[in-house]
Formats: sequence, structure tokens, C-alpha cells
Amino acid sequence: MAVKVHIHTTHRQHTNGLDVVPVEGITVGECLNQLVRQFPGMEKALFAKKDKLLNVVEVYVNHASAHPNELAKSVQDGDEIHLLVMLAGG
Amino acid sequence: MVGMLTPMERERYDRQIMIGELGQEGQERLKRSRVAIAGAGGLGSPIAIYLTAAGIGRIRVIDPDEVALSNLNRQILYWEEDIGRKKVDSARAKLRRLNSAVEIETIPETITKDNVSDLVGECDVIVDGMDNLPTRYIMNRCAVEKKIPFFHGAVNGFEGRVMTIIPGETACLRCMYRGQVPQEKFPVIGVVPAVIGSLQAAEVIKYLIGIGKLLTNRLLIYDGLKATFTEFRVSKNPVCDHCGSAALP
Repeated sequence: MAVKVHIHTTHRQHTNGLDVVPVEGITVGECLNQLVRQFPGMEKALFAKKDKLLNVVEVYVNHASAHPNELAKSVQDGDEIHLLVMLAGG
Repeated sequence: MVGMLTPMERERYDRQIMIGELGQEGQERLKRSRVAIAGAGGLGSPIAIYLTAAGIGRIRVIDPDEVALSNLNRQILYWEEDIGRKKVDSARAKLRRLNSAVEIETIPETITKDNVSDLVGECDVIVDGMDNLPTRYIMNRCAVEKKIPFFHGAVNGFEGRVMTIIPGETACLRCMYRGQVPQEKFPVIGVVPAVIGSLQAAEVIKYLIGIGKLLTNRLLIYDGLKATFTEFRVSKNPVCDHCGSAALP
């Protein structure tokens, strides 16, 4: 059983349209690194630079905010990571 | 007596007074309330319309802009004949025609850190109708400092989000802050701020009456393309620079 990463609508252009991508890892950071290895376009969608998420990206693990220190958050098989984007429109 | 309903109000609000959790007492609470709506655009329009229709006693609408053609796909307070007119002027005229018993105050000013306290300070709640994050954070800080509940909403494309902030008790908007983001023109279709603005208005009504369960520490995400609502839990950040240990005195 892997960790499921739920991809934000605006990022699915980088994952061949997939909205859920299974990955392996024991931290959010490892999982996202594997996501990027599978879909290199996700790197610029998620990261400002190595190990630093873009400020607009929000990470939730099992529907709970992983902020702060998102990348260090532990995960285990069966967990779900949701990647959201901060919205600003009104 | 202040807040007591007139016979006409009892008739106007008859259908919502019938709701067990609301009743006449709840309606009277709405009448005694004062709400600030920061921004009279895509979100602010349905928020203002539904709070006016519900009988909030005093509504303050804050927006510096004039109506533009590109507003009309979503800013349902405005019509073609309003293009070029101050949004707050058009808003007041429409809202007064909807419900003449509601006192509509208008402020055609940009919200800044220097004026925000004066703009919203006397209100019971502040509703987020803004179109950018920096001003949202100005509002959030003010709400936290003055302990005024803040009803957050935001949209982009077919997506929207809602969360209710009770200063001193729940996570605030800044608890999730990770740094500045670039300001861009955002895509949006009217039905999405309609949904989100309506949810914000519902939260305001529930809070003022003291009923239901609020979206506190709960971020509700609306995906209009999939027609789904998903809820995420948010916690107070102990080192938040608005509501936590890093906040300036």
C-alpha cells in the first residue's frame, strides 16, 4: 500500500491528467521527491528551490494541515497527501 | 426597543423565523448586528445581497473601485448601466431596494494598515470579499488584534475555499502563511464566488445567532468542476506572527 498524493487541479497538466499518484516514502518530502521523479514538471509547480516549497503550495496529510515543516512530516502506507494551492481571488 | 421586529419585518422574515434554530430571537439578533464587508466584488456581491436579504441591521461595504465591464461576469450587484460608477454607490442603491430596513454604510476607500482599524473597528464581524492576499492579511491582523470574527473566503477558476476565524480561539488566516506570493489577475466564473460568498454569509448568520457548527479550524474546499466539497483541518500555529508567539505586541 503506497501513499496517495492528490494533485491540485492546476498541476494535473504535469501528471498526464492524473489526480491521484501513488508514491513511496516515510516523509512528505520523500513522497514529493518521488512524485517529481515520476513527473518532472511537478518540480517547478511545487518547489521554489530544492527542499523549499513555493509559498502558494499547501500540504495536508490525512486531511490535516502539515504546516509548518511540511516536508519533514512523517507519513506511512495508506496515508493521503493533498496538495492545494492558496487562493487569492475574490 | 432596539432590535425588536416591526410587523413588516415579521412578515418579511417569516420563512426564516420558521426555522427552529433561528426564530424571532435570532432574527432580532441579526437586526442588532453590524457587519463589515471588505470588498464588493465577486465575493462581496453575494455576501452583501444575502446578508441584506437576511436582515442584518447595519452593513458596511468597503471598496475603492469603479464598476468595469469585466466585473459583470461575477459581481452581481452591478449592471451594465453601472459601468464607471463607484461600486459602493451602486451597491448601496441595489441593497436599499432589496431591503430598505437595512442600514447600508459605504466606504469608497482602499484598506490599508493605517486605516483598517477605523474602517472595521466598530463592527461585530468582518467578512472577506477581497481579491488579494496582502489586504487579507491586513484584515486578519486587525481582526486578531481587535478580536473581531473574520469570515475568510477566496476563489480561483472553479475552486473556492471558506474558513471562519474566531480570534483567540481558532487558527487565523496567517497561521498557514509561508511567505509572499506573486499577485496576478485571477480567473473566475461567477457561480464559484456565488457558492463561496453564500457559504460565508451562512457562517456569519450562524455566528451572530449562535447556532450550528462553524467552519472554525476547518478549511472547506469547493471544487466546482467535480462538484465536491472537501474539508481539511487547520490548527493554530503557535508561532504565528498574527495570533501566536511571534505576534508583535
